[in-house]
Amino acid sequence: MFHRRSMIAAAIAGVMLGGVTAAVPAPVHAQENLIDSIVQRGVMRVGVGNFVPWVFRSKTGDIVGFEVDVATKLAEDMGVQVEFVPTVWDGMIPALLAGNFDVVISGMSITPQRNLRVNFTTPYASSGNMLAASVQRMPDRASLDDFNDRSVIIAAVRGSTAAAAVQAQLPRARLIQFDAEADVLQEVLNGNADALVASVPKPGRDAATFPDQLYIPVRETFRGTLEAFALRKGDADALNFFNNWILVNVANGFLEERWDYWFVGQDWADLVPE
Amino acid sequence: MFENPTQRRLGWLDVVLICVLLLGVAWIIYRVETRLVYNWNWGMIPGYFWFLDPITGQWRSNMLLQGLLTTIRMTIWASIIALIVGTLMAIARISPLPSVAWLARTYVELVRNLPPLVFIFIFFFFLSTPISNQLGLADWARALEGTQRSIVTFLFGPPNLFANFITGTICLALFEAAYVTEIIRAGIQNVGRGQWEASTALGLNRWRTLRLVILPQAIRRILPPLTGQMISLIKDSSIVSLISVQELTFTGQQISVATRRVFEVWLTVAALYFVLCFSLSIVSRRLEARFRRADR
Amino acid sequence: MARHNPFVHLAIYASVMALIVWGVYQGAVSTGYRWQWHRVPQYLFEWDDGTLYRGVLIDGLIVTLQISAAAFVLMLVFGLVTAILDGSPSFVGRAIARTYVEVIRNTPLLVQLYVIYFALSPVLGLDRMSAAILTLALFEGAYAAEIFRAGLQAVPRGQVEAAQALGLSRFHIYRHVVLPQAFRLTLPPLTGQTVSLIKDSSIVSVIAVFDLTTEGRNIISDTFLTFEIWFTVALLYLMLTVTLSFAVTGLEHRMQRTVAR
Repeated sequence: MFHRRSMIAAAIAGVMLGGVTAAVPAPVHAQENLIDSIVQRGVMRVGVGNFVPWVFRSKTGDIVGFEVDVATKLAEDMGVQVEFVPTVWDGMIPALLAGNFDVVISGMSITPQRNLRVNFTTPYASSGNMLAASVQRMPDRASLDDFNDRSVIIAAVRGSTAAAAVQAQLPRARLIQFDAEADVLQEVLNGNADALVASVPKPGRDAATFPDQLYIPVRETFRGTLEAFALRKGDADALNFFNNWILVNVANGFLEERWDYWFVGQDWADLVPE
Repeated sequence: MFENPTQRRLGWLDVVLICVLLLGVAWIIYRVETRLVYNWNWGMIPGYFWFLDPITGQWRSNMLLQGLLTTIRMTIWASIIALIVGTLMAIARISPLPSVAWLARTYVELVRNLPPLVFIFIFFFFLSTPISNQLGLADWARALEGTQRSIVTFLFGPPNLFANFITGTICLALFEAAYVTEIIRAGIQNVGRGQWEASTALGLNRWRTLRLVILPQAIRRILPPLTGQMISLIKDSSIVSLISVQELTFTGQQISVATRRVFEVWLTVAALYFVLCFSLSIVSRRLEARFRRADR
Repeated sequence: MARHNPFVHLAIYASVMALIVWGVYQGAVSTGYRWQWHRVPQYLFEWDDGTLYRGVLIDGLIVTLQISAAAFVLMLVFGLVTAILDGSPSFVGRAIARTYVEVIRNTPLLVQLYVIYFALSPVLGLDRMSAAILTLALFEGAYAAEIFRAGLQAVPRGQVEAAQALGLSRFHIYRHVVLPQAFRLTLPPLTGQTVSLIKDSSIVSVIAVFDLTTEGRNIISDTFLTFEIWFTVALLYLMLTVTLSFAVTGLEHRMQRTVAR
């Protein structure tokens, strides 16, 4: 009896030991060569968030937006297919580090704090952000400095360029962060925050839609934040490739043309309902 | 507890409650009209279930329906895995070998006390992703063609998210299995000691006692709370959106971002969850009633 | 007998646990993750001019405690009222109780929070914090109601009949006879529910209440220190829930002794 039971216990321990040992693969990223493995696989996996008009789902469920145009052209130039992996903001960096996708192209602003953890490419976009204030809570202001105060509550989307801009330029204001832009707007409409900050031209359109609740105190935009692709650390070849791709496509006007299409024009308005 | 609870006549309490309810509803409607700044537009919702493709002229399913299907698929697979793991862990929990019992106990306590998000991070990024990369799950699914591809799509959803779906499902299953373990353990321990002793006296060994005597009796007590746990599983399934599994909550979020129709989208999503969960809850109550009758 | 030798089993247990921890660690290494723990302490405590200041994570922990405490009290109220209504002779009362429990238990907490915060709270004039507490209390209250119901049903009918025979009013029967006995039965499941409440309170980060999870997510969003911060946050939650479990176990032991006497 005793022998059998001990053997069962030993067997269970053995199986677990075996399982765990088998689960440990050799380090793969030590000598990673991202570009080669993308070309070999024939597919580039791109992590994207969810943010109009950077990248979002059209009313037929397709993934569309500025990032999609950028990544599609990038993949075309590499001669591979592109595969988008929509991911919530909280999961983006872990999934990148775990190798779930090759690169994050999702309107990510460069900040030194973040750069300690991931590599950023040369910026491929610079977004302007604008502030829309609540008529009820903060009427008749005409300067951004009025909002740089401890008593002011400003709403923005967590991880967005707007949140980065508020932290950089209105450091004294209390920044509250939500997961989606609709929440940010509703928060100000409901009178729970003094202002919202979002990338142009949306704040202007919101103010036009809800003139009794929102107004634009300052027409000029915030100093721009710089957006870049994010990569795992330790692969200079990939960084070089992406940097130069961006430089080329700044020079040939592709990025600017796409930017104007998504951020200035309204030709894509019928991708979303109403 | 006091009087016959099936009485149908309205008492004073009923009248008071009805008045309070009516007043409350009237007040809320009044305040909605005067206070809430929101333009309702329910017209866009049906298009997110199905829409007529203008190019092919065929009906296509859209994000809400796909999200709902993913949630259902994940619920079924995760429930099966959770049941198996939970049963094994429950048997380990009552094992006479202390080390086995301790290990099972550690698993249960860890899962129950850790925030679900942290559990998912540890499991997904430190254990399952290295393993699935090693096995090449993602590349295998991507390379599938023809019938194999349609079978995998039917069972597990889009092949390009196959690896995420599998790991997300296992993760969810292991999370719920901790609760299933406790339900099954309680069920087993509720069966009287006399049954164990009688079986031992008849010369049955521990395993056969469990299989032939204890489990068949325990199952009546286990089934109702187990369906309750399945309802929790459906609701908890929204946490795997963190790892790119596009289930109902995730697609709901995406639609609400694209359309900025917060209330319409979330109320629809809530209704879908309610239909799923409430039907299970009815099944659970039927089972409970049947077993109670059988017990008599 | 050797198989009950605790040291052998302790050794087996320890080695299996060590293996699992080692496996997770190796998995982390294989993803090439470089730990940056030195960036974490500033979020727990700030040392400035010889004075110790609370970091944002500790601020968040305090808010989590406040929300949980307030929601706990309300949860008891909702749970008890619902359980009593459910057992009442009133048809409408039972209908209200059942509808409440079914609606809450069959929809996700996240969706409830969205509806209550963005749609109902401007209507009712609730601020962020109250909306968070109310949602949590409503959610956990529906589960607490089932726990109370089971506890009330477990009190033998004879007790109530005896109290009625003694001429006690319904209020006094509840107050002195039923509730004290039901309390003892409901304590263990209620503790589990409270642990759930503390964990579920993290959901309020979607409406920007500055609780532990929100602070953690904001730091991660600024610094990308995903794993370091989440592990720290998890440890803080674990400290809360484990302390609670121990406290209640102690309470149970004391109550059992009182009963035994």
